[in-house]
Amino acid sequence: MRRALLALLALVLAGAILFYVLTVPVTLPASALPAHTPDLANGEYMFTAGGCAECHAAPAKKCDDKKTQDKTVLAGGRCLKTPYGVFHVPNISPDKETGIGNWTTLDFVTAIKRGVAPDGEHLYPAFPYPSYQRMTYEDLIDLKAYLDTLPAVKNEVPEHEIRFPFNIRRALGLWQKLYVDGKGFTADPKASAELNRGAYLVQGPGHCGECHSPRNLLGGIIASEAFAGARNPEGKGRIPNITPSDDGIGDWSKADIVDLLETGNLPDGDVVGGTMAAVQDNMAKLTDEDRKAIAAYLKALPPLPDAVPKPEKTKDEDEKHTAPAGEGGNGEQEHDTPE
Amino acid sequence: MQKLMLVICAVAGLATYATLAISAEDLAAAVKERRHLMKDIVGPAAKLGNQMVKGDVPFDAVKAAKAMNDINGVPDKYVTLFPKGTEKGAVPDSAAKPAIWEDFDKFKATAAKLKDASAKAAGAAAQGKDAFTVAFSDMTKVCKECHESFREKEEK
Repeated sequence: MRRALLALLALVLAGAILFYVLTVPVTLPASALPAHTPDLANGEYMFTAGGCAECHAAPAKKCDDKKTQDKTVLAGGRCLKTPYGVFHVPNISPDKETGIGNWTTLDFVTAIKRGVAPDGEHLYPAFPYPSYQRMTYEDLIDLKAYLDTLPAVKNEVPEHEIRFPFNIRRALGLWQKLYVDGKGFTADPKASAELNRGAYLVQGPGHCGECHSPRNLLGGIIASEAFAGARNPEGKGRIPNITPSDDGIGDWSKADIVDLLETGNLPDGDVVGGTMAAVQDNMAKLTDEDRKAIAAYLKALPPLPDAVPKPEKTKDEDEKHTAPAGEGGNGEQEHDTPE
Repeated sequence: MQKLMLVICAVAGLATYATLAISAEDLAAAVKERRHLMKDIVGPAAKLGNQMVKGDVPFDAVKAAKAMNDINGVPDKYVTLFPKGTEKGAVPDSAAKPAIWEDFDKFKATAAKLKDASAKAAGAAAQGKDAFTVAFSDMTKVCKECHESFREKEEK
């Protein structure tokens, strides 16, 4: 009996040690940073491509307002209501007390490449570092230099309100073992420069997969179903499949994609809405070459069926729409919705 | 005297009720009609304009002008189809944000912008594809502005 108890104790202890070791925050050595003179214009471009303002700029009125006051005032305070709880987006303005004014470039790059804050705290992947980690050091150094030029705003943002067990930050270390390796984007030597640029923008700064790719129970992106659509992480409904399949954008031309990114117009005569409207505003500010590169890359993705099936209700509605009309009904015809 | 007051009150109450009460069917019909205007008139016209701008369909000044005039005919009627109680969640298929009723004047002003922009696009069609492209793009900015402020569509 006593032996069994001792064995159990040893096991618990071993488990605790293992957890501790596996969750030690991984940081970057100073030697990881290349010598690079910051290019502020490119930093601003990466800021736009990365959509930093959409989360970090202070919301217009309410904390969940999609609109922002000023895209360069990164005082934080936005709330993201997710199944894990409510995240309060931090202040990343250069304020020394409440923002990231004390962060070095190495601190900043470590947060983005490893999801670890300067105090060793693991960051929640609501901050999409699993995508941003693919960005080049040069782009990140430029981005940090650009952020340093923005106004410092004193604004203390409340702590996240996350449910158990997701509130155990240390456990994120395990999650990061699975989804974060800090490796930069690897270009495909067989693909064209345009395709590689598109892949970089989509996988890295654009972080398109964070919404458009489905996730597993751990909240990690399912790589084999990347870009095949997903549940809306912030509410009801689904995020569209953007692979070139029948369920996705198979019948879109590259010009359709470029046009959507530039103007917000969809090929069916509608305009883009929801969260994508803000993303599209940013995409409109990229160069035409970059929009074309994104379109080329998306059209070259493996075509996949929807990762999240369409809701049953929609199917019923479709049947109703296609059912032969005029059989003893009131003679009123259903409007055909091009959805 | 008291009796008379009661009767007056009752009559006044009934009259108010009759003007205010809009049946559930009326609300559903309003939503159906506004979806019809957007899906069957504005949508296809905007699609055609977009295809001509992109070059998927050859530019045709007459067809382009007609499409823009089709859109032009919608906004005045459209804004009359938003009785209170037709926001998203209250009536099936509604995608209307409560923001519409919080600032109905702004909603009407945005609709007026569409009327203006579609008239300009219709006029620009006669001046050729380049002029039409600019005017069409100005018009779809209004589409986007209005949808961002006032439409809450479930992402699908």
